[in-house]
Amino acid sequence: MASKEAAVYILDLGASMGEKRHGREVSDLDWAMEYVWDKITTTVATGRKTALMSVIGVRTDDSDLAGIMPVDDGYENITVFSPLKQWLLSDIRGLQGQVKPSSTNNGDILSAVAVAVQQIDATTTGTTGKPLKFDRRIIIVTDGRGTLDTGDLAQITSKLKDYAPPVEVVLLGVDFDDADSGYKEEEKDAQKEDNETTLKEFVEQCDGNFGTLAEAIEQLAIPRIKDVRPTPSYRGTLTLGDAQTYDATVTIDVERYPCIMIAKPPSASSFVVRTDLGGVGASAQSSNTVVGDDDHPMDGQLSAVRNQRVYQVDNPDEPGEKMNVEPDDLERGFEYGRTAVHISESDANVVKLENDPSLQLVGFIRAEDFERFMSMSRTNFIVPQKANAQAQLALSSFIHALYEAECYAVARIVVKQDKAPLLVVLAPHITPTYEALVEAELPFEEDMRRYKFPSLDKKLTISGKTITEHKDLPNAELTQAMSDYVDALDLSEYDKDDEGEPTDYAKIEDTYSPMLHRVNQIIRWRATHSDPTLPLPDPPQILTRFSAPPPDLLQQAEAQLETLKQAADVKKVPPKTKGRGKRSRADRDKPLSGLDIDALLGNPKRVKIDANNLVPSFKQALAATDDLDAIQDAADAMAAQIRTLIRASVGDSAYGRALEALRVMREELTELEEPEIWNVFARELKNELLDGKLGGDRREMWWMVRGSKYGLIDRKRCFASDVTEEEAVQFYK
Amino acid sequence: MADTQDNRPGEEEDDDEEIDDASYKTIKDAVLFAIDISTSMLQRPAPSDDKKAERDSPASAALKCAYHLMQQRIISNPKDTMGILLYGTEKTDLKDGDNTFQHCYLLADLDVPSAQDVKQLRDLLENEEEAEEILKPAKEAPTIASVMFCANQIFTTKAPNFSSRRLFLVTDNDGPATVKQDKDTAITRARDLYDLGCTIDLFPISKPDHGFDRTRFYDDLVYPTSPSDPDAPVAIATTTKIAKSGDGLTLLKQLLSSINSKAAPRRALFSLPLELGPGMRIGVKGFILIKRQEHVKSCYVWVGGEKPQIVQSSTSHMADDTARVVEKTELRKAYKFGGDTITFTPEEITQIRQCYGEPIMRIVGFKPLSLLPLWANIGKATFVYPSEADFIGSTRVFSALQQKLIKSKKMALTWFVARKNASPVMATLIPGEERYDENGEQTMPPGLWLVPLPFADDLRQCPEQLAEPRTTDELTDKMRIIVEQLQLPKGVYDPSKYPNPDLQWFYRILQAMALEEEVPTKPDDKTLPKYKQINKRAGEYITEYGEEFEKVFATVAHSALSSRPKAAAKKRPAAAAADDDDDEPKPKKRIKKETKVKNEDGDDGLTDQQMAAINDKGQISKQTVAILKEYLGARGQAISGKKADLIDRVQEYLENKGL
Repeated sequence: MASKEAAVYILDLGASMGEKRHGREVSDLDWAMEYVWDKITTTVATGRKTALMSVIGVRTDDSDLAGIMPVDDGYENITVFSPLKQWLLSDIRGLQGQVKPSSTNNGDILSAVAVAVQQIDATTTGTTGKPLKFDRRIIIVTDGRGTLDTGDLAQITSKLKDYAPPVEVVLLGVDFDDADSGYKEEEKDAQKEDNETTLKEFVEQCDGNFGTLAEAIEQLAIPRIKDVRPTPSYRGTLTLGDAQTYDATVTIDVERYPCIMIAKPPSASSFVVRTDLGGVGASAQSSNTVVGDDDHPMDGQLSAVRNQRVYQVDNPDEPGEKMNVEPDDLERGFEYGRTAVHISESDANVVKLENDPSLQLVGFIRAEDFERFMSMSRTNFIVPQKANAQAQLALSSFIHALYEAECYAVARIVVKQDKAPLLVVLAPHITPTYEALVEAELPFEEDMRRYKFPSLDKKLTISGKTITEHKDLPNAELTQAMSDYVDALDLSEYDKDDEGEPTDYAKIEDTYSPMLHRVNQIIRWRATHSDPTLPLPDPPQILTRFSAPPPDLLQQAEAQLETLKQAADVKKVPPKTKGRGKRSRADRDKPLSGLDIDALLGNPKRVKIDANNLVPSFKQALAATDDLDAIQDAADAMAAQIRTLIRASVGDSAYGRALEALRVMREELTELEEPEIWNVFARELKNELLDGKLGGDRREMWWMVRGSKYGLIDRKRCFASDVTEEEAVQFYK
Repeated sequence: MADTQDNRPGEEEDDDEEIDDASYKTIKDAVLFAIDISTSMLQRPAPSDDKKAERDSPASAALKCAYHLMQQRIISNPKDTMGILLYGTEKTDLKDGDNTFQHCYLLADLDVPSAQDVKQLRDLLENEEEAEEILKPAKEAPTIASVMFCANQIFTTKAPNFSSRRLFLVTDNDGPATVKQDKDTAITRARDLYDLGCTIDLFPISKPDHGFDRTRFYDDLVYPTSPSDPDAPVAIATTTKIAKSGDGLTLLKQLLSSINSKAAPRRALFSLPLELGPGMRIGVKGFILIKRQEHVKSCYVWVGGEKPQIVQSSTSHMADDTARVVEKTELRKAYKFGGDTITFTPEEITQIRQCYGEPIMRIVGFKPLSLLPLWANIGKATFVYPSEADFIGSTRVFSALQQKLIKSKKMALTWFVARKNASPVMATLIPGEERYDENGEQTMPPGLWLVPLPFADDLRQCPEQLAEPRTTDELTDKMRIIVEQLQLPKGVYDPSKYPNPDLQWFYRILQAMALEEEVPTKPDDKTLPKYKQINKRAGEYITEYGEEFEKVFATVAHSALSSRPKAAAKKRPAAAAADDDDDEPKPKKRIKKETKVKNEDGDDGLTDQQMAAINDKGQISKQTVAILKEYLGARGQAISGKKADLIDRVQEYLENKGL
């Protein structure tokens, strides 16, 4: 849990902030607000009630200190926009309307700091008069062009340092000179130069941070990583041997913490657009709501969604029918195949394997021979129990022994009482500051799927001979070209570290989750850009940095890539032939022997549709002919059979067969580029189903057709179709 | 319609938009076992004293395989169907009262197996009398063509719209049709099956005096590709040979191994271009070869009728304000933000999710394998194999890449977008070498493995550690001997030796309950360490290590203790501070050299006795949530829920302890 925070933003809204300088396209204020909005929205996004914020404007037209202190001499032109509180979306929207350059240049930043201190003091002091535990911060954004009264400076500084921890002061200056980054503004006016010096001295005295706005905005691009306090997922012992039976065993007190935990983007919840807003003004109440909505265009128009569940079973009295059952009649159970096994509440534990929490060593394996793809989970640290010297010494010896023997350990872990045991691999992990075992789950026998794949380095003929020259095998030229290219595009020394030494490129520490930060970025952006017509911004460049090889490295490897392309001679399969039906008989799939079955049957010209062999005979009928009439005949016969199936179906008993026939018919006619034949039939069938012309209520069948998307063939699926995509969508309605 | 508002926990709508690969494996699979029942298939091997000798006739081995597969599929593919058809039996029964197909006996109809099916099959294998009655060859066997057509009818009616339908044919007869006309009919019927979308998987068995010659007949029936996996060549099952006495590899084992490799239909998880460099793409497919097998989730059972029935539930959405039922298309996604919601149009959501471009696997560059530490792992790896469907020449380029990576011990860093809408990940392609067992059967396929990597956001800090004590060389050496003594066979981890004990136990119990048999009491857990062996092989070294540990600890302990920070104590209630020395809540198994937990560290919180005392005084509700959680946590109890729940749990715990 993060500690409580209080942050006050002091924004310089003087008239000078409205100007565009140094060739920038936005005014100084808009530029500064990029930073401020980012910070504010980031805090709001956390939804923390303990992260308090307020914003104070200085050099504003009006003076309003919100009662924190009287507007005395020297405190004019300061506006407190908000009390120190948790901010909500409405506060952001509210502030947006107020942040604009004023028409004055009067007002004193240092007075605003004094107001901020007062505000912090008033809010973060407990009822006993003692300051509460808070992280306090004041962030000042200014162009340094106002006037400063340094009279109370020493007093303010000492007040800031009074707190434990002291109030952190951050000063962001627009075009301030900065020795660290080497920035120096040309032709700076004397007053600004003086102010810069004063402000920087002030920040230095209260041990604060100073930076230029340019730097700060540059750093915004680097995604922030959320720190999570580690919580152990297992506390217990690491044991070797059975201490209850044998004397010689090893037991070490350990704890297990996550090493990797996927950070997920925030998830959206489902809402539904409210429909009861239709009658605007119908009643006083609803018009109130609408007025309220104007301030927050997104609020009030959505209603939460609740889920309602219905439970059904097959009706034992009327086969093929379903009936609803009450949740009260339901008990827990499991499916064993299609048999329901009922397990009463009291027996619930009978299927559980009893196990005490433990981490037991099973044996050791050679690190070199460990197949890296076997580790199948995120990883954990196993570390000695906190402040337990014996455990730390014992685990240290174990970690180093594994390291020196170049071994990993295989262990059985039960995290909690009666949890399923898992086998894990333990690898030594030694760093200058800590030593740990890294743990990942291993697969069990049932987790491995034993599919077989043909060899990649040789070919076996049907007769069992091995051949090494084949179009699927690389020749010497390709092998060499690949080798050269792989070596040329090596990243292991491409980057430079802080000392300029070559180092590994695209280290994990440098890669940021593209979707996580993208979603966060867009939510924050939308919070301050509510106009729905604005185009969404692109993802920041840092998130796509590793989506392609580094351009200059690629350039160096250009010759190798060219050679590789030549040697590889890869050809794209033209889209036309891909997936197209085997139209001519000669192209039909043949059995292993290569036998031409049609020839065997004397190449029949017409194949009759056989109700008992519907799908195959339909396919064969289409394969036997190019004649449009014959195709139409086959389709008509197929259509008739589909109708028969539906008409004769008891309940939904034959729907599956009818659906399969529909699927095959639709696919084959698409491939034959005869969509019209299908579309005519599909329209007829829809009407027949909905009008009850196929032996009663067949709406259920229509839902299945719709659900399977066996509707019209549109232009996108088949160019010969005259049905637009829009029409095809309409068909389902 | 029943107006029930369901509030049972764990059933809220899943809000996660991520599509995981579960939705991809929903390919439904139907397997029909067709077992040839002939005199030669029923021929038992000569009795032998050798324990390893053959005991099964080919037919009974096939039935055992079917039994095994049925049980296995209930576990691994609970939605898939399976049937067993015997052909050539004297009896005729297709369970539909129809006698069209003479001498075909449908032992188990093509359906999701029921407990009864399992029991019936087991009885057949155990009860010889019953077996003899059914497994009796007919004088005149049915033609193979009619068996094919019978299968055709079964698939058409029982598994009409399954995307994978497979006929497993087990026979020792390599020439079942002698007349040309019969042969032609069989070939036509086999093609009908192919056109229907069914694959024939032949499991041939050699006779003792005669090898199985596929070219005589079956090569005209079996097709090289499968409709559900069009461009990956089908690996042809090896011929099973009747073993000579004592050669160890029984018919059953061979057949099981062949059938196991086909237990689940192979289907690609994704099909993508692999970009080696600009303008240089090949086609690849991804397959899941490793996946945690979980047991079925519990479901609702309706007990209002004669027989318990599985309940199907459906969800409808309702607007909270008007209680109006809403269609899925009306739903809008919104993010909660600052006490309000932030919405995007569906088009904008698409734009946000798809801003990183089309699905692709793009190589960013190459690194040595040594730069892939074990900790950099976020989940299971996916197997990648070339495909010629989009790019001709993919296989040779892929092969060259795989061989180069093996040779140079390198990996390819990859930008990977699995599907539209999928979050991009950084992944690395590591080479996988083809491996065989002693019989030349492939145990690991050749290809590349895609290992997804964590991002900086996913890294967690290791808790801080004191700089001392650290091991000494002497102590490390003593431990190293132990490590070297206790190597697993061949120094590798072999998953096939470790069935999942929890999964096996669950299904053993469930099967027993489904068949209303006695529930077993003792689990067979192969993952438990072999304590006896550990003691035998390393006992003395462990003792030596213990002695060295004492010595080293005596020298480092002092400095370590003095450098320890002032008791990193958490807040402790006054009551606990009273007796600080004897409150070891849980017994620790450890040998003498091991430590006692230092109590002032306060990690164990209150003892049971203290908590009981607090409870008796009625002050338990005065304890803070943190204290309650710590107390429960230290006893392996759940620490979720509200304070009232925690108190209930504590009291329940104390009650069970008799306090």
